Amino acid sequence: MSDLEAALDIAFGDIRRLDDVVDREALKEICRSFYDLFGLSIRVLQEDGALLADVHEERDICSYVNTLTAGRKACGATVTAVKDDVPDEGTVLSHPCFTGARYMIVPIEYQGHRIGRFVLGPYLPEELTRVPKTLLKLADVDRQEAQRHLAEMPRVRPETAERVVAHLRSILDVLLHSSHRAHLTSEMHVRSVRAGYRELAEKTSKLQVAYDRLRELDRLKSNFLATVSHELRTPLTSIIGYSEMLSQNMAGALNDDQREFVETIHQKGEQLLTLITNLLDLNKLELGSATVKTQAVPPRALLEDILSTMRPIAAAKNVELALTLAPNLPPIAGDPVRLQQIFFNLMENAIKFVDEGGLVQLSATPDELGPEPGASGRGLVLMAPVRRAIAIRVIDNGIGIPRGARERIFEAFYQVDGSSTRVHGGAGLGLSIVKRLVDAHEGTIDVEGALGEGTEFCVTLPASE
Amino acid sequence: MQLDFKARELTIKLVYYGPALSGKTTNLHAVHRLVNSDAAGRLMTLETRDDRTLFFDLLPLSIGATKGINVRLKLFTVPGQVIHASTRRLVLQGCDGIAFIADSRRSETKANQLAFLDMQDNLTENGFEADTHPLVIQFNKRDLPAIRTDEEIDRLAAHGKEPVFKAVAIRGVGVKETLLGLIDLTVQHLEERHGLKEKVGVTSADFITAVNNRLFREAP
Ligand SMILES: Nc1nc2c(ncn2[C@@H]2O[C@H](COP(=O)(O)OP(=O)(O)OP(=O)(O)O)[C@@H](O)[C@H]2O)c(=O)[nH]1
Ligand SMILES: [Mg+2]
Repeated sequence: MSDLEAALDIAFGDIRRLDDVVDREALKEICRSFYDLFGLSIRVLQEDGALLADVHEERDICSYVNTLTAGRKACGATVTAVKDDVPDEGTVLSHPCFTGARYMIVPIEYQGHRIGRFVLGPYLPEELTRVPKTLLKLADVDRQEAQRHLAEMPRVRPETAERVVAHLRSILDVLLHSSHRAHLTSEMHVRSVRAGYRELAEKTSKLQVAYDRLRELDRLKSNFLATVSHELRTPLTSIIGYSEMLSQNMAGALNDDQREFVETIHQKGEQLLTLITNLLDLNKLELGSATVKTQAVPPRALLEDILSTMRPIAAAKNVELALTLAPNLPPIAGDPVRLQQIFFNLMENAIKFVDEGGLVQLSATPDELGPEPGASGRGLVLMAPVRRAIAIRVIDNGIGIPRGARERIFEAFYQVDGSSTRVHGGAGLGLSIVKRLVDAHEGTIDVEGALGEGTEFCVTLPASE
Repeated sequence: MQLDFKARELTIKLVYYGPALSGKTTNLHAVHRLVNSDAAGRLMTLETRDDRTLFFDLLPLSIGATKGINVRLKLFTVPGQVIHASTRRLVLQGCDGIAFIADSRRSETKANQLAFLDMQDNLTENGFEADTHPLVIQFNKRDLPAIRTDEEIDRLAAHGKEPVFKAVAIRGVGVKETLLGLIDLTVQHLEERHGLKEKVGVTSADFITAVNNRLFREAP
């Protein structure tokens, strides 16, 4: 049997060969006890004819006929014929011997398959009374001696034979079942240990590579962070501080041009500081070290607060702000500081991208957060249960986002269009921070609206239960 | 599917998969009780510890001759405990269809998800197309408190792809429906993807009739 076939048999829990599963010693012992009980010889053969157990004693009649040349020949022929006589599934064959004795051939079936047979006998059927012609016909046979030897042979009544067969069959069935079980168990054991070892070895070596790389990255990153936070922030603070002092005439009066230049330096310095702070923040979010402390946050207070914070910035650009709140909104399960950060960023972004005199709307409606379907939608019903949620939208009537760019706007440093950078400024970090914050709240963020039609950001956050 | 042309015999392998203690073994016991006794073989339980499956359970069912071909079903369970990952992968080999037995309790949602993802991985590892392999889902233990509601399951099931059954396996409720649903899906898949009809001349409809007659025929 090929390895593949063997593997399939294990996969299907099948057995094909008796000796693959059965314990030969146990089989012999069973045959021996049957022999002791009924005085009947038993042979167990596998489907291919191989002998697995053989408990017999040579009968006098057999020894006698084997002393005769013709007898030896006839005996050999009978034994071969018995060995080759294969009963159909579910039937028992009775095979005659020329001495008048019989063999009974019984198939061994397991889970609907014949996997071998056992042979009982020779024995004398109860009804036989005379020396049969087939024996007398043999050359040189002595009738009286044959009669004497035959009389010593065990006689078996048909019912007894049937009982013995049924009994042996059921015992073999139990033996096969438990042997099969033991066989499958040990096969599974060996296989799972092997598979487990292999998988572990593969994983370990992959982990080692990943670990080495991470360690190197980690080292680089810590260096980088130290540089950013210290080497950049320190001089920047000085630039901001001194330029502020200059613009406040603390080092003598400046003329208009000078003041304008210094104020630009101050303003850009502040921008740079915000950028660096954002970078550090993003990094913390990526490392998962920024924590979200969830509590019940009422949406009205949150959004009204955002609006009042944004008002001066909007007013400077003559942008109108509007807020709509659906009635009976449940509280948001969120971190108030982080939520502020999310909507501050989105609002700031919206105001930045609308033209003078534009409109930015903020709205909140009840919603649901369903499980996120996998690519195929398979197993959806097993995924997270539906949760009550609040959808908060930030809608502007600005330049909009081209369809193709929507996927990428949440990536750090992504800019929809290099040219708008020049007009609107910003380093594209805000949205990636927003996305990570929303993720940390187990919410979702989507963006809608085509180029030229304004933009709609929809943040869906779980309600506090 | 295992096809033995010489013996004119077809064997279909069905696997009960799911998280630990979701009731896979209980399902098999219930099938054993529910089907006609002459169609079921001995239920084989390989090595358990505290009633937790260590390798697998196996229940052979015999559908008998159908259009001249002898049809057998082999029902397996996997061990649900996380540590038996490689055994689960081995048991999935050659499997034709899966009944995913989920625990209905809310608290088990995460465990159900993880077991499901683990199953998808193992299907891929075994060279199956994980997204199309025949699958039914059973929400078991409907008799317990704090379970996901019927309404919620029905709503999600309507959006999902696979047939969903609800069961109380310990009382045999929903067990037959799950098995029949799985057989139905599996033979259809075998017909569409593996040319069951061309190979053995049995259509999925023949098959279902035979299964119904042979496994669940009412005693006269
Ligand atoms: N209340 C209730 N209990 C059930 C039900 N079905 C199974 N159980 C119980 O859940 C426990 C685990 O059942 P098993 O069938 O052994 O679980 P399993 O999925 O085979 O577990 P593993 O073999 O560890 O993977 C048992 O105590 C069962 O009696 C059900 O419908 N209702
Ligand atoms: Mg089990």
